[in-house]
Amino acid sequence: MTAPAGAPAPTVEFVRASRWYGQIIALNDVTATVGPGVTGLLGPNGAGKSTFLKLAAGQLAPSQGEVRVLGRPAWGSPEVFHRLGLCSEADAFWDRLTGEQFLTSLLRLTGYEEAECRRRADQALAQVDLLEARGRRIGGYSKGMRQRVKLAQALAHDPDVLLLDEPVSGMDPVNRRRVVDLVKRLGREGKTVLVSSHILYEVEAMTRKVLLIHNGRILAEGDVREIRDLMDEHPHTVALRARDPRVLARVVVTSPHVLSLTFGLEGEWLTVQTARPDEFYASLHDPAIEAGVTEMYSPDENLESVFRYLVAR
Amino acid sequence: MAFWPAARGVLGLALEGMIWSRRSLVMAVLLGLPVLFAIVYRAARAASVPPQLGGFELYGHIVALYYVRNLLPLAALFYATALVADEVEGRTLTYLLTRPIRRGSILVGKFVAYVATTLCLALPADVLTFFLLATAHGASGLGSRVPDLFRDLGVIALALLVYGALFTLLGVLLRRPVIPGLLFLFAWELVANLPGYMPRLTITGYLRSLTRHRPPEEGLGVLLGQPEVLPAALCLGVLITLALVFLGAAAWIFSRRDYVMEQ
Repeated sequence: MTAPAGAPAPTVEFVRASRWYGQIIALNDVTATVGPGVTGLLGPNGAGKSTFLKLAAGQLAPSQGEVRVLGRPAWGSPEVFHRLGLCSEADAFWDRLTGEQFLTSLLRLTGYEEAECRRRADQALAQVDLLEARGRRIGGYSKGMRQRVKLAQALAHDPDVLLLDEPVSGMDPVNRRRVVDLVKRLGREGKTVLVSSHILYEVEAMTRKVLLIHNGRILAEGDVREIRDLMDEHPHTVALRARDPRVLARVVVTSPHVLSLTFGLEGEWLTVQTARPDEFYASLHDPAIEAGVTEMYSPDENLESVFRYLVAR
Repeated sequence: MAFWPAARGVLGLALEGMIWSRRSLVMAVLLGLPVLFAIVYRAARAASVPPQLGGFELYGHIVALYYVRNLLPLAALFYATALVADEVEGRTLTYLLTRPIRRGSILVGKFVAYVATTLCLALPADVLTFFLLATAHGASGLGSRVPDLFRDLGVIALALLVYGALFTLLGVLLRRPVIPGLLFLFAWELVANLPGYMPRLTITGYLRSLTRHRPPEEGLGVLLGQPEVLPAALCLGVLITLALVFLGAAAWIFSRRDYVMEQ
């Protein structure tokens, strides 16, 4: 997993790095590199994504092996934080502070003068569309606003490396789109952005470059489309809520792509397993109108099933 | 970023939160109780109820027994053990640990915030208590007692400093430092009442020697006689050294432990 010749130099490097807590191994003998651009860190809950990011951000010391950021050991190198920003998963703040005070206080600790702190704070708040709310206490922010101010503190000192742990969690679709665009822009500007998520479509919207992590190990790395292909080959589950699920069942059961059908207990739900989700979705339009489909989701979108499938292979 | 500017930045961030905390409200009430007591004492004097003790003697008891022996060590315990624990529990430590500053400066900045907060609460309460009680029988002789007030203010500051440093160390060392801290204060520190060299193994032994007030002894001390009064220079030297050693050890441990997983 070393960078090929001609590829940009890695900014984050894990060399046989492990981290355990007592008997529990959170990250197991991981060797991986991350270079400029946006990289998705994909894995189900408990896979080791947060431990990976905390090791990269120097918040945890590796139990074994080495983790380097910008050529320095991540643990015990505070000077790295001039060039690294972390947006952690925790919804935690000093709630008494306003958004602006929060950012200027942290910028002061990064070494900027007062006027520069205010300028950078405003700039970062504008990037996440919080400029108007800068004078309000964070304690009164909505979950989405808290998520965005947390992102702003990671961006405010214009770091070269950004580590984002589930950055769009809790955001409404408009701000989700805004953050996705921001991440893509930062990647295009040559910053190293490592984004963790357990939702494939979130990562897919930001990048095609992914690291797959499962049970504390890097399972695969590469193009997100390969993962998508694996998912397409793997039986895909779709849950549909309809006014008349029996009418729906009668139609979809004739489709060659449907493997099985199950009626839900409440009588309104129909669960379909398909080997070719794209064709299935394409053929669903007319039957959905006929049967009065009101809701549809895929329980597979959290990647859990594809990981089970990959591990089984 | 250099150590002291970083510590000053952390101090600025920590101070406001510490001053306007529930902990400070409780501590202000407890530290203010002697002021209330002094007002009642003066009212009783005005009503010609003969007091058991003179105002200044009463003030001496309050400083030695209430402030220095009990309340200030407790204040230090509840503030200093929480310096890191509050950030860990609130999961805000990550914001401080992802700044280009040495971890020791975070601890020192927060420690200075604790000292400033507790001094802001304790010193005015002591000064008010002094003037209310020392002038209860009239203002004559007040001038000769003012040096004792300054001495007491110094002892209060030293008590907050040295106990605070000790409990900061316990706070970074142990996950649940309050019980060991209470055991230290109310079991080990009683050794200060024994005769001989034993009081030299306690913090309160040195602090008590620095105040001029000699209240009745606690517990076994009554049976075993007066413990020795240690020279002021020795007391100052030992207490300042202890504070520096405890704080240095706390900063050393804090910069080597990862706390993020405890969040």
